Amino acid sequence: MFKGAFAIWRRDMLVLRRSILSELVAVVAYPLTIYLAFGIGMKGYIGLVDGVPYSMFIAPGLITMTAVNAAYSESTWSLWFHRKVQFTIESYRVTPISVSEIVIAKIMSGFSHGLVKGLAVGLVIFAITPFRFSPVNLLAYLAFLIPGSALFSCAGVICGTVMDKPETIGKVEAVFIMPLIFMSGLFFPLSSYPANVISWIRVLPTTSLFEGARQALVSGGFPLASALHVAITALLAFAAAVWIFRLKMSE
Amino acid sequence: MSAAITTHNLTKRYGDLTALENFDLEVAQGSIFGLLGPNGAGKTTLIRVLTTLMRQTSGEAFIEGLDTRSNGREIRRLIGVVSQENSLDRYLTARENLELHARLHGMENRHYRKRIDELLELMGLAARQNDFPDTYSGGMQRRLVVTRALLHEPRVLFLDEPTTGLDPQSRRAVWDYIKSIAGSMTIFLTTHYLEEAEQLCDRIAIMDHGKLIALGSTQELKDRLTGGTFYLIEFGEDAERYGAILRAMACVREIEVDGRTVCVGLNSWECLSEVVTALNGAPVRRIALRERTLEDVFISLTGEKVRE
Repeated sequence: MFKGAFAIWRRDMLVLRRSILSELVAVVAYPLTIYLAFGIGMKGYIGLVDGVPYSMFIAPGLITMTAVNAAYSESTWSLWFHRKVQFTIESYRVTPISVSEIVIAKIMSGFSHGLVKGLAVGLVIFAITPFRFSPVNLLAYLAFLIPGSALFSCAGVICGTVMDKPETIGKVEAVFIMPLIFMSGLFFPLSSYPANVISWIRVLPTTSLFEGARQALVSGGFPLASALHVAITALLAFAAAVWIFRLKMSE
Repeated sequence: MSAAITTHNLTKRYGDLTALENFDLEVAQGSIFGLLGPNGAGKTTLIRVLTTLMRQTSGEAFIEGLDTRSNGREIRRLIGVVSQENSLDRYLTARENLELHARLHGMENRHYRKRIDELLELMGLAARQNDFPDTYSGGMQRRLVVTRALLHEPRVLFLDEPTTGLDPQSRRAVWDYIKSIAGSMTIFLTTHYLEEAEQLCDRIAIMDHGKLIALGSTQELKDRLTGGTFYLIEFGEDAERYGAILRAMACVREIEVDGRTVCVGLNSWECLSEVVTALNGAPVRRIALRERTLEDVFISLTGEKVRE
């Protein structure tokens, strides 16, 4: 059943492998710059946040941000490019694989990009900063990173499916994706929000993702409700992505 | 001979627009079938329905006896498709493009490797198999797309304008290849080049506004149109005067004078001796038969107006 999905995913990984060095340099540069500018540059002014140094407070969020951004970008641009520029989706569709297999492959590819790039940033931060965590924490952290990357990969697939113009994809990224990430307590504790806003912010799956990821990696905690929130949203996004892609292909 | 492709009352509507209307067609197994029509005639819609990329609004379509509505996966196992766009993966080498296609068709590793080697050799691409398609000429890219479509040994091959944009040499190379595989599979071809259809196809259908308007062999289509023959007569002088003499003859259907040349349309070829007699003593330099072309048929059926 999933032979076709695996074949397309394998193709995407081959292409990633070919360009891994240049991809990683580009992907690592942005969060690392933020880390150095805010985590180190502002450290003296900010001090402790939620009981941990500011550089440690933002590190899990930066790794997670890299992963979900990479997952979203890969899924969106890859699907759009294969659909509108290269017409490869059409060439897949005249083979005996199902439309669902194509969309599952693209979600898997986005997810894999996210995971590889997020872990690369994590390794770099680990290597050049004093940020340390127990290996056990990493397992709990992956329980957030994996569904989080899958969630953004599904969101990317939906955007790459419904948007025909590349400029629209950029706008969605600027208006929805980045605010979702930045509003979720990546750079500041949720307690900074006015009390009546916090409950709304907590509804966002990204809040559960970034808060949960931070707790998991820094303190080894595992907020189950947050993990379930991310996982269930990812499942719903998966179902939506498959449905929307099938609908688009039947037009 | 049984049919490779059959459609009954096939209709496809996009809102108010009817792209295909009660389209009936039968393509014999092993034949090369050409589909002609102006832009927007419904050719691509028909191919999309037949290749299971799109569902019809009503009617039926069968490929090798399988219903396109309920046997999509089985049909896609049997068909090869060369679409208008190259749809090659520019981030994969030529060989990797073929390997991916083979895997999507569920071919065994050992089987497809050998088959790829054979086809690359046959299509003259073996030496460039590890290059990316972007570095290929237009003709080579097209050959690679055809190779990809043939990899899984399809029983029906759909070629949607396979030679558009190619130089004459590359076009002829694709033609030669299509001729070489003729008989081993059914080939369904759409093209804008009427010469291509004339050269390759056993039977030709002409469609317009979603309807089938003519069907037959090239010769049958030409015969249907003409009902007479045309001759070009070149005079040394006084072409207008001799044109007037010929216009008065009962067996001459139409006449057109262009400089020293007169184009004479006769009711039948038997009238030619009457014409020659009438022109006794005239300074005739040359008399040539003007063959009706498929283009004449096409224009007469679909009109001269340019389509959007």
